[in-house]
Amino acid sequence: MIKLELQSVGVAYGHNLVVKDITFQVMPGEIVGLIGPNGSGKSTIIKAISRVISLRSGKIFLDGKDVFKIPRGDLARLLGVVPQMSILPSAFTAFEIVLMGRNPHLGLLQYESAKDMAITWQAMERTATQPLAERIVCELSGGEIQRVVIARVLAQEPKSILLDEPTANLDIRHQVEILDLIKSLCQENNLTVVIALHDLNLAAQYCDRLILINDGRVHAQGAPGEVINSRNIREVYGADGCVYPHPVNGLPAVLLKAGNSRHAKPRDTIERGVV
Amino acid sequence: MALEQLKPSFTGQAIPIHLPHWRSRIYGILGLLILLTVVVGFATTFGSVQIPFSAIFGTLLSKLPLVDITPTWPSTTETIILDIRLPRIILAGLVGAALAVAGATYQGLFRNPLADPYLIGVAQGASLGAVIGFLLPFNWQGMGFGLIPLLAFAGALFSVAIVYNLARVGKTLPVTTLILAGVALGALLGSVVSYLIINSGEKMHGILFWLMGSFSLSEWTEVKVVLPYIVVGVVIILLYSRSLNIMQLHEEQAQQLGINVEKVKLILLVAATLITAAAVSFVGTIGFVGIIIPHAVRLVWGPDYRFLLPLSVLTGAVFLILADLVARTALAPTEIPIGVITAICGAPFFLYLLRRKKRIVFF
Amino acid sequence: MRSKLWRLGTLYLVLVMVLSLIMACAPPAEDEVSFPIEVTDQMGRVVKLEKFPERIISLAPSNTEIVFALGLGDKLVGVTDFCDYPEAAQEKPKIGGFSIPNIEEVVALSPDLILATQRHEASIIPALEGRGLAIFALAPKTLDEVLESITLVGEITDREEEASQLVSEMSNRIKAVTDKIDNLPEAQRLKVFYMTWHDPLKTAGGDTWYEELITKAGGINIAHDLSGFPAINLEAVIDANPQVIITGVGMGTGEDLPLQFAKTEERLRNVDARINNRVYGINLDLSGRAGPRIVDGLEKFAESIHPELFKED
Repeated sequence: MIKLELQSVGVAYGHNLVVKDITFQVMPGEIVGLIGPNGSGKSTIIKAISRVISLRSGKIFLDGKDVFKIPRGDLARLLGVVPQMSILPSAFTAFEIVLMGRNPHLGLLQYESAKDMAITWQAMERTATQPLAERIVCELSGGEIQRVVIARVLAQEPKSILLDEPTANLDIRHQVEILDLIKSLCQENNLTVVIALHDLNLAAQYCDRLILINDGRVHAQGAPGEVINSRNIREVYGADGCVYPHPVNGLPAVLLKAGNSRHAKPRDTIERGVV
Repeated sequence: MALEQLKPSFTGQAIPIHLPHWRSRIYGILGLLILLTVVVGFATTFGSVQIPFSAIFGTLLSKLPLVDITPTWPSTTETIILDIRLPRIILAGLVGAALAVAGATYQGLFRNPLADPYLIGVAQGASLGAVIGFLLPFNWQGMGFGLIPLLAFAGALFSVAIVYNLARVGKTLPVTTLILAGVALGALLGSVVSYLIINSGEKMHGILFWLMGSFSLSEWTEVKVVLPYIVVGVVIILLYSRSLNIMQLHEEQAQQLGINVEKVKLILLVAATLITAAAVSFVGTIGFVGIIIPHAVRLVWGPDYRFLLPLSVLTGAVFLILADLVARTALAPTEIPIGVITAICGAPFFLYLLRRKKRIVFF
Repeated sequence: MRSKLWRLGTLYLVLVMVLSLIMACAPPAEDEVSFPIEVTDQMGRVVKLEKFPERIISLAPSNTEIVFALGLGDKLVGVTDFCDYPEAAQEKPKIGGFSIPNIEEVVALSPDLILATQRHEASIIPALEGRGLAIFALAPKTLDEVLESITLVGEITDREEEASQLVSEMSNRIKAVTDKIDNLPEAQRLKVFYMTWHDPLKTAGGDTWYEELITKAGGINIAHDLSGFPAINLEAVIDANPQVIITGVGMGTGEDLPLQFAKTEERLRNVDARINNRVYGINLDLSGRAGPRIVDGLEKFAESIHPELFKED
């Protein structure tokens, strides 16, 4: 069980300060969603936590230790990352890719044991990628590749997981399956999970807490009901009046309607009888 | 699918411990080991001079301790087998193995199917060193070898060191910059070498022959000098074979899986360069082996570096021993430069493999 | 176009007629040669000269030696970097290397005769011909052809007497060698391995003139069945078991590497030539130049192969 903590984190690409001042915490057993418009800095935060980019300011602590000072091997045992777009080597089979997730637990000279194989296989079962085991990567669709990468992170058995748009290429069945899986894993094993999501509805349904990022700063933090409301959506996304309560569980749902943007012609909205 | 016949595991659930293609890879390694032994025997038997099999067998046997056979063959036979053919075969095997595994390593490091062991300037640096050695007005013999291999080795390492320093950005080594720097320096050195060759007068033939590669005067001292570099280098590379697998995921993901990417890059680069430099300094720049053998192995046995690297070692050794056999017997008693053989034999073989396997993606 | 051709043709005809009239009326030349003379060189090219050359350029050391041997040293205005014999040749202006002479330098010296060799066939000769220069190519492949080349040079330089004298001297010396050898029974001819270079190991095949030198000197070339200057496998040399090994030396390295190799290479230790210490180096200036000193080369070969027949004098 580990805690993730960001303190006044700032990240820049060259002279461009993308993340300006971000502070939040994620407790074990909790799924925190990062939401916000394009370019707000969600992916950058994920990259910073996984130590791919260095910080301009601030600190990130994982399990009380500075992320940038932990040895890489230890970090890999603590943290698994599902990147936004995975480029996988095209000739490996799905099983081999997932098996690579066992690397942090193996020494230099060690080869995978039966236990590693079992864990890999199980990870593939839980992500419904077992049928793909013998197929090579170049034959897989984008969604299948994404599930394979998630399986790889599961095989890694980390204590915390970062996901950057994990459901972007998936159909709705797999979207729900994967997020259900992550939620149950998080609760069973007390994982610390951060998900960057575009889809506000999924974010509301699955995340225990949401952090709404706008222009590199935290605009709002809290339970989904507190963060996703008309005012925040209008302020951050510029979209008016689309937040409704979900008919089943009352969580905020964002329903879009045509004609809501500045490009709409007034005539359209009247003709369709929409207010 | 074959996953049905699986061994049950401790969880009670069947898992594919030995996936079918893994099995074929292990068989491949065993098979190649046997093939290597056979090929070595075969190559000892044949040569420019006809020697009866009994004499060969007898000579080899008589060198074993505790075996006492009175020779029924002339002493020249012993000289030919033990001092000419055997060191030559072993050196060919070592060099073939070194070039093939270095090529596979570079292809993995750069994630580029066009990479070969000479990509970042080893060949041109070694050529420059060798040509300088040829043209110097004096010679030097020490430790059993002369100036040319020494300068070739130094030239190879020197040029890679320059390329490394040109490409390095702080503590990181971006691979694209490395390739560009290597190609640029290689071109520069190559032009210097060409200029020197044109002005080399009567030594031109010797230099050109060296550049094309040849095992013609291989002897035991060369084997002894080259062996430690190649063995140590190959072992180091094999140790990192799983890391090389994971580096195929591109650097960010590999880092997130715990690989110290910069350290692994540096270690593999140094090891692969050392074995290539050692291979090239005595024998010349034999082309083709380092790029084609890894691809041929991949086509048959897949891209997993844990198998690709040892399979390349064995395949490279077998290939070069056979190529050298052809080089010294096809037009006996004259010799064909081995670079010609590797190109002539290798290209059609590779084309055949490409046509045979339906899948075209293998990298 | 056609009328132009007609006009040129008519002009040419008129010129020829006038010229022949003048020549018919003019007194004969002093040495009874009528110009222009036409001589066929050793590459089958017909070279026409209007007068005997006064400014000769040599494109090869062998040609330089021939020129000096015929007493034409003072007419020599350009030589290659490698022309080092006789000593006077070293003072002459240099026009570049052996295979790649500097065309501009050659032209700048305004030669009226250029002595080339077979090496220049591909590009140098056409280039110089294109500038209207007279080039005479010497391309001997046997000792007899070397003698012939000397005669030809004598012919085009008005030194026919000196040439014939030189040729007869050389013939006599050659004969002195071959007379002794012709009577030698087959069994006494020794197997000779001629090494041009050691790494790669190269030898001279049956169609080179080293074959002739070896054979005339009473030897049998172990590379008789090969052609050109091929690389040879060390195994084959050991198997052939030569009784004499001769290497070319004097290539300017300072250290004569092929000779060292022949004398010290471990794997040759059981070969007859090494056991009996019959390893020799013969200077390439003598054995490799198609000039007057080729006879010296032959004599050296004879002394090395059959010292018992050819005592040093």
